[in-house]
Amino acid sequence: MLNLLLLEYRKMIGFRSVRLALVVCLVLPWIWSFSPRLQQLYGLVLVSGWQVPALALAPAVDVLLPILIAVTCAELIGSEVAQGTLAPLLLRPLSRARLVGVKLVAALSYPVVLLAVLFVGSLVAGARLGLGEFAGGTGLGPGSWVGVGLLTPGDALGEITRAYVLAAFALMSVATLALLLGVALLNTAAAALATLATLLMLRQLVVFPEKLQQLLLTTHLGLYTVQDPVQLRNSLIYLLIYTVGFSLLALFTFERRDV
Amino acid sequence: MIQEPQTTSRPAQTADRTAVAVRGLGKRYGRTVVLEEVNLSVSAGEVYALTGPNGAGKTTLIRCMTGLAFPTSGDVHLLGHNVHEEGSRARSLLGAVVEAPAKFYPQFTGSANLRLHARLASQGRGGTRVGEARIREVLALVELTRMADRRISEYSLGQRQRLGVAAAILAEPKVLILDEPTSGLDPLGISLIHRIVAEHAEAGGAVILSSHHLREIAGYAHTVGILSGGRLVDTVDLRSRHSAYRFRVDDPVRAANVLGAQPFVNRAAPRPPYAVAELVSEAAVPEALSRLALEGVRVFEAAPDLFDLYEYYRERLQN
Repeated sequence: MLNLLLLEYRKMIGFRSVRLALVVCLVLPWIWSFSPRLQQLYGLVLVSGWQVPALALAPAVDVLLPILIAVTCAELIGSEVAQGTLAPLLLRPLSRARLVGVKLVAALSYPVVLLAVLFVGSLVAGARLGLGEFAGGTGLGPGSWVGVGLLTPGDALGEITRAYVLAAFALMSVATLALLLGVALLNTAAAALATLATLLMLRQLVVFPEKLQQLLLTTHLGLYTVQDPVQLRNSLIYLLIYTVGFSLLALFTFERRDV
Repeated sequence: MIQEPQTTSRPAQTADRTAVAVRGLGKRYGRTVVLEEVNLSVSAGEVYALTGPNGAGKTTLIRCMTGLAFPTSGDVHLLGHNVHEEGSRARSLLGAVVEAPAKFYPQFTGSANLRLHARLASQGRGGTRVGEARIREVLALVELTRMADRRISEYSLGQRQRLGVAAAILAEPKVLILDEPTSGLDPLGISLIHRIVAEHAEAGGAVILSSHHLREIAGYAHTVGILSGGRLVDTVDLRSRHSAYRFRVDDPVRAANVLGAQPFVNRAAPRPPYAVAELVSEAAVPEALSRLALEGVRVFEAAPDLFDLYEYYRERLQN
């Protein structure tokens, strides 16, 4: 199992989509840390390097990371089909569930890797603004950017880590959705587009009753901003159901899929 | 060469030497029928060649037999194990190349790809452990030792195809299934594959391969299945054809009757001006001549009745 997982990661490193995503996650925080029109557009003045991670995270989780994750996770299956290497794997005495299981683990770990790179990239980019104690907020904790007084580096790091962990958890559902559609469509482009179309379509349902909103995956992708414990727990449960559900569907779909 | 896989129970089918049994196999894609009621059986030690026009369903049949595709009806058993129900166990007995040229990870070297296949071969129930020595052995067998540490992207199509065959025989499978194994190969490469296939069968393995090269497969296949329009329209036993002799005689009908009554003749039929007989062996020819002489049949010539598979195939499909 570990051998297969390592092989999966070796293959992923070869994907152009992964390399591009890693570059984007490293470059994006620098763009925000230097953005000269931040005050004009958002009325925000950066007072600490601890605020850069939040600036990088918000737009990334909304659009960029779902796109990058959808493409790579769809590619986990799609590239094997395109290269013709899926059939030789399935000719070996390896169960289909195990093969998809390994790909699921790789897909689930991908948002963690991207957010870890974004996290480190943000701290490096924010270092020039200083990473000491400051008056204000990280944008990811109580009081948002204004904060609730003086914030120590430890507290700032805690707020940012919590938000990044929650964002990674939320994006795991997108990764499993893309893998499920990859298994169903056996094509990278089709599966990635289907994933993004599904997310966009769900976002369009904002005009529907609030009870329905609670059930939608897209409602909970902004989990990292939630401070209310009850709301946080509910979102975590919904996201867990989506992630496990998509994973199981991927396993069952692939079990009797013609290759 | 062929080793018993790590299995505790021996299925009933091995007793009758049936290695591959395809029963009532059908495959539809929507309303399109690709395979219909295909039945075939391949014994241990037999080389079975599948042929037929483009679009006849050969590749779909091979994909169904290897468990890559799921049939709409019927089933496939490898040494008694249902490929679609006991996938892991059945595939531990199988070596296959289902695409020409064979596909590998282009970013890895040839030996790294084989090492990956070796690891995968040891997975699941009945998996076989494959060591470095065996990897080197199969690379030498397909004459790719020099290329072992080169990336697949540097391999020619023929070299990839040979590496595919190396991967297929790596775990010393009981059943070898090859789709167009000589596609893209030069004459030396073709004879190399012929040798590997023949040796595998001699060692007791069953081989199924698909090919359009009829005169080529007539040289080493034991049985040829002709697939057309998704149906197996004919099965030709080339072994019996190899032992057929024709006798140019004055009365072919009487000669065929005389020969047909002999214990060393499997089958005899008139084909004026000849009587054609399938003998149990070449050694029975003098006995056949003497019997015909005793019965007063005048024999002008006796010669092997060479079977032209290409001509037979052409006639069979035209009719």
